[in-house]
Amino acid sequence: MNPIIEHAFFIYFFVSLCILSIAVIASKNIIHSAFSLLIFLLHIAAVFLFLNAEFLMIIQIIVYVGGVLALFIFAIMVMNLREELRHKRFVRFSFLGLAVSLIFFASLYIFLSNVKSNQNVLTYSDTNLLGKLLYSYYLLPFEILSLVLLIALIGGIIIAKKTPVDGDRR
Amino acid sequence: MIPLSWYLILSATLFSIGLMGFIIRRDLIVMLMCLEIMFNSVNVALASFSYYNSNLSGQIFVLFSIAIAACEAVIGLAIVLAIVRNTGINHSDEINNLRG
Repeated sequence: MNPIIEHAFFIYFFVSLCILSIAVIASKNIIHSAFSLLIFLLHIAAVFLFLNAEFLMIIQIIVYVGGVLALFIFAIMVMNLREELRHKRFVRFSFLGLAVSLIFFASLYIFLSNVKSNQNVLTYSDTNLLGKLLYSYYLLPFEILSLVLLIALIGGIIIAKKTPVDGDRR
Repeated sequence: MIPLSWYLILSATLFSIGLMGFIIRRDLIVMLMCLEIMFNSVNVALASFSYYNSNLSGQIFVLFSIAIAACEAVIGLAIVLAIVRNTGINHSDEINNLRG
């Protein structure tokens, strides 16, 4: 690929990811921040396509956009937050949070600005080899992960279940 | 070719923005969205290490991370729903009792 076009696309994704993640934080309406998060996740999928990880792009779109974001929107609709627009958005000492994140970014930038990388990159995306690696070498973490997903499913149902109304429970 | 440090700086920037949002927002659901932003930035860093070392283990760790993020979203939203249903509070700085 032409390197100038590649750099231009990367800079576009950098700027738009920053703008979208700030829009998630700064928007007044919660449903607006949910849709900003939707566009953010699609841009992250495009960044995965830059890195020759096509399978991750598909998984990102299916799991995040199809699962997690639909769950967020369902939760917003169930909670029915109509009077939310009048309340203030930030905590009282929000400049301290700003300072903490700026210090964190500065200390990461000092380490990351001159990282050396070798030249033999992943030249093509090999989903076949990824599946073989997942089912041979990483088989035990994969099975444990299925148990973790099952337990999270059951726990989510039990926690969010409507408790029976009696005298001492609110 | 895009150097590795650009991807890492992208990841660090998104992680810092997510951390800032997690600290300064009051709504519990937006705090969970900021957690998703931080998960995604770490996934970009892992995938870029996988690309520049020509090793597929990084992508498998991204798969595991995506699954754990889905579990985290389910449990977090269930806890937020339980808090809102039991106490009527959906701001992080108004929760002040432990017995619910």
